[in-house]
Amino acid sequence: MIRLTLSQMRRSVGRLAAAGLAIVIGTAFVAITLLAGNVITRTTYDSIAAQFTGADLVVRGVPADDTALDAVRDTDGVATADPQLMSYQQLEAGGRTIFQGVLAEPTDTSVLPLEVADGNLPEASGEIALPVDVAERLDTTTGDTVTLVRNVLEGDQESDEDAWTEVREQLTVSGTLTDPYGAYSMQGGAAVAPAADVTAWDDDLRAPGEEPVEPTTVLVTLDDGTDVETARTAITGALTSAAAGSGTDTSGLKVVTPSEHAETVATEMTGGDNVIFTTFVLVFAAVALLVAALVIANTFQVLVAQRTRTLALLRCVGADKGQLRRSVLFEAAVLGLVSSVVGLAAGVGLGQAALTIGRGMDLGVPLPATVDITPAVILIPLVVGTLVTLVAALSPARAATRVAPLEALRPADAPSGARGAGRVRLVLSTLVAVVGFALLGGGVAVSTVGGEPSLGLMVGVAGGVLSFLGVLVGAVFWLPRVVALAGRLVGMSGPTARLAAANTLRNPRRTAATSTALLIGVTLVGMMSTGAASARVTMDAELDSRYPVDVTVSTDLSSDPVSVAAGDAAVPAVPGTLAGTVRDVAGVATVVESPATAAQVAGDGVDDGLAMTVRAVDPADAGSVLRSTEMVAPLAAGTAVVPEELSEVWNISDGQTLTLTGPDGSLEVTAAVTDLADSGLLVVPDDLASLDADAPVTSLWVGLDDPGDAASVVPTIQDAVADTEAPADVMGAAVERAGFQQVIDTALGIVVGLLAAAVVIALIGVANTLSLSVIERRRESATLRAIGLSKGQLRGMLAVEGLLIALVGAALGVLLGLVYGWAGAAAALGWAGTPVIVVPWRDVLLMLVVAAVAGLVASVAPARTAVKTSPVEALASE
Amino acid sequence: MDTTVYVPIPDEGTAARPTVTPAVRARALTKTYGRGEAQVRALDGVDVDFTAGRFTAIMGPSGSGKSTLMHLLAGLDSATSGQSFIGSTEVTGLNDKALTALRRTRVGFVFQQFNLLPMFTAEQNITLPVELAGGTVDKQWLGTLVDTLGLGKRLTHRPSELSGGQQQRVAIARALIAQPDVVFADEPTGNLDSRSGAEVLSFLRRSVRELGRTIIMVTHDPAAAAYADRVILIADGKIAGDITDPTPESALAGLDALRTVAAR
Repeated sequence: MIRLTLSQMRRSVGRLAAAGLAIVIGTAFVAITLLAGNVITRTTYDSIAAQFTGADLVVRGVPADDTALDAVRDTDGVATADPQLMSYQQLEAGGRTIFQGVLAEPTDTSVLPLEVADGNLPEASGEIALPVDVAERLDTTTGDTVTLVRNVLEGDQESDEDAWTEVREQLTVSGTLTDPYGAYSMQGGAAVAPAADVTAWDDDLRAPGEEPVEPTTVLVTLDDGTDVETARTAITGALTSAAAGSGTDTSGLKVVTPSEHAETVATEMTGGDNVIFTTFVLVFAAVALLVAALVIANTFQVLVAQRTRTLALLRCVGADKGQLRRSVLFEAAVLGLVSSVVGLAAGVGLGQAALTIGRGMDLGVPLPATVDITPAVILIPLVVGTLVTLVAALSPARAATRVAPLEALRPADAPSGARGAGRVRLVLSTLVAVVGFALLGGGVAVSTVGGEPSLGLMVGVAGGVLSFLGVLVGAVFWLPRVVALAGRLVGMSGPTARLAAANTLRNPRRTAATSTALLIGVTLVGMMSTGAASARVTMDAELDSRYPVDVTVSTDLSSDPVSVAAGDAAVPAVPGTLAGTVRDVAGVATVVESPATAAQVAGDGVDDGLAMTVRAVDPADAGSVLRSTEMVAPLAAGTAVVPEELSEVWNISDGQTLTLTGPDGSLEVTAAVTDLADSGLLVVPDDLASLDADAPVTSLWVGLDDPGDAASVVPTIQDAVADTEAPADVMGAAVERAGFQQVIDTALGIVVGLLAAAVVIALIGVANTLSLSVIERRRESATLRAIGLSKGQLRGMLAVEGLLIALVGAALGVLLGLVYGWAGAAAALGWAGTPVIVVPWRDVLLMLVVAAVAGLVASVAPARTAVKTSPVEALASE
Repeated sequence: MDTTVYVPIPDEGTAARPTVTPAVRARALTKTYGRGEAQVRALDGVDVDFTAGRFTAIMGPSGSGKSTLMHLLAGLDSATSGQSFIGSTEVTGLNDKALTALRRTRVGFVFQQFNLLPMFTAEQNITLPVELAGGTVDKQWLGTLVDTLGLGKRLTHRPSELSGGQQQRVAIARALIAQPDVVFADEPTGNLDSRSGAEVLSFLRRSVRELGRTIIMVTHDPAAAAYADRVILIADGKIAGDITDPTPESALAGLDALRTVAAR
């Protein structure tokens, strides 16, 4: 029987290869995912190992307070012991800001895995050594200064927000550093400053009374000739007795070598980030494999149908049902195994190629030279690939056992296979879909109306998964109807199209399975792109209501109104040339200059000594950049527009009379509260002049041509501002939009890329189905040719078939994707404002075009076979 | 016993109706398969005329070349040498496009396996050739065909709902719908029981007598051949006899004579 199966496989090798391709892609996907997980673990290990490369021992698990450090330092044979301390600090130079991890310089600098590129390591307090790339970004070299900006809690005041004050200190760059082993590549590099400085900065971050959080890792170097094991025991002993004195818990204490330490940390990682990543990607691999399973099941169904006669003959000569079933399953197992091996090899090859290319591109992270092939990398793809194929072949195998011996005696005709699916399936799938959609709707309602976004999201996701399952299982019932409807529309265009439409309906099960395979991928892609588009628009709407203008360039935000009003400080002006520079940036529509000063504000019920920034803008100019002129509608001489938020904080009511006192005089104004979002009062320029005749321009209100271009325009503005070295902030809706648009687009790109595998497999499925149909319909094609179908019409017929199957799958997928995307956005973003529902037309169109083109391409090869059929074959009796 | 009505090939012009022109002609038509030693002459320089408005049967034993002759006459297969004509059109030498056009308008086929499209109704099957050609169906002609072939109540049925005989009648209607110059029928009764077979043959004869069509039928069944106006016997790729107004007996006798010749 095995020999017979193998010879049958040889006869259908082309068809099997097409089906196998689906499994190859799926398993390659799985293999690459696992390999990538290994690379992450490996890179982590290497990076940690590098961090400790200079140390002889690493002490972990106890707080490295002075007692512990002294205990270690006093141990015989210990040369140095330093806690590994990294503090994240804000560094500024030339208008650019960077958050940088700063390492405390160890006593023995050979412990540092970093190398000095230029200058030297810090030798005195107030010095800092920067990573080469950070120094470049800050445009500094050895000997320059950078500004360290810290928020320090002053005195003993309780945790009142005002107690935090900004401290700016100048640090001298003592040198630049490289990280040849990539020890800190995952932390974005490391700067080095004297240990005392770093400890002091770190201490300042703590609220008073808060227990110091000591670093738990201590790097130890030993005197030459000291035995590591002896030292290890001695340190453990010293620490345990020291801890016993202070009552510290030492249960987690470990004194380990650097490589042991790296291994432990890397293992901890594999239970964390790595697993999340691997699981995330494997979900997509699972989708790809599910689609592959559909394609395989379809192929086997057709193979069994085509072999009906042979199978019946086998039954006639004595094969029992079990033998037939085993034969089909054996065939599937062989196909699955062979495809999985090919897929595994392809995955490993692609992974290695990616690594080699990645290493050549200098990504900043040191990648291992070769992929790390663990047993899991080999076994999981092989087992999963083979199992998926076997499971997919179960139903066709059952169909094979149903072939009656009698069928061997009947004339061979195109297998109809148009067996309807069971009623149980119909009821069950409808039920699951209805419940799923109800849950989905419920989830959205809970999130938006009920105000429980996390619960709503959970219910919504469950409903989404459930309803999609119901839709997929029920596809065999409703999908052919949709195809029929589409076919009827298409059929009106002529007899070729009508033939094609009729063909897609002769085997509803097969058409449904093929379309479904495509529908899965398209639905998920559609959902992601709709969700992303809805998220974008919802966030945009939220931002629009928060910021009055697209971009504000402002110098007065960090100045203190009280001291300015008192005449003790001046508001720094925006450099005179900046307005012109910004105006010249491509994509900028209008720039309005707004002068400001600070004034004391007095009025009934208003706190004494209140000082605020008072800004002026010409109402006509304001209208040209403001998103909504309603916000400044009351602006006129004698009126001050008060942002609603400020009015609430300072007890200013609408229509109240306020007395403003500036450096040059005072003024009575009527307060007009609007929902303008700003940090000061707004008056007309003449009124401002009576408060401060020399009020400098401190803000530029920038309107963009198209807020959608924020991602490209905002960085240009930021650069232009940074070049002037003025202490100006660039903010506004467009700035934030540029930020999150990039995040959304990147995430969307990754997800769609991962789903692409599923779509490609589905398209292979369309081609496969078409070629099988063509083989099945040889006689019919010949008949049609004999009664006057031209070669072109035959090709056209198959093209329309491919189009119908692909487009119906894609269109329904897009539709479902829209529903899921909207529901998802509504459930997830209910908190961020009213969810806005968007159709991502560009993406929808793109998906349909891709599906249509793929459907057409899928028909090319089968059409070539079909056209070769001579009309004579219609006359052949067998 | 040989009470033969078997006549050696008569001279040209012995046809009963001298006014008619040949609908289909073959001149030195030859078809060989293979090369060298393995070469088989399926058809060996055949000259034959088929008169318009007549029902002609081509009869011969298996492997005699009768099917090959029909394929070549209908332009379904290419000849090795020689010519075949439908009306004044030389079929040999037409390209695929021209052949397709020829099949659409001037030739009809009836197959042993019926070859109806299972997803279309009887009526859709019948009108398909006209639609493929982009023409409009002549309703009156369709009505005539349906009446003649007795398909009135079956037009909305699909092939799977029709008996073999009914399916073959639909196939005949499909072959005649474009009013072709000639209809080729390949063993039209081969898949039918004798009653349905007789019915189908009567319909073919009526199509010729009442509707003025030209039909060329390939068969190995003398009883079927007897429905024709004329039987052409073929053996070893050559014309071996010609019987006018055959009866089952005369046809069978002709066939027997061929076998005897072959056996010798």
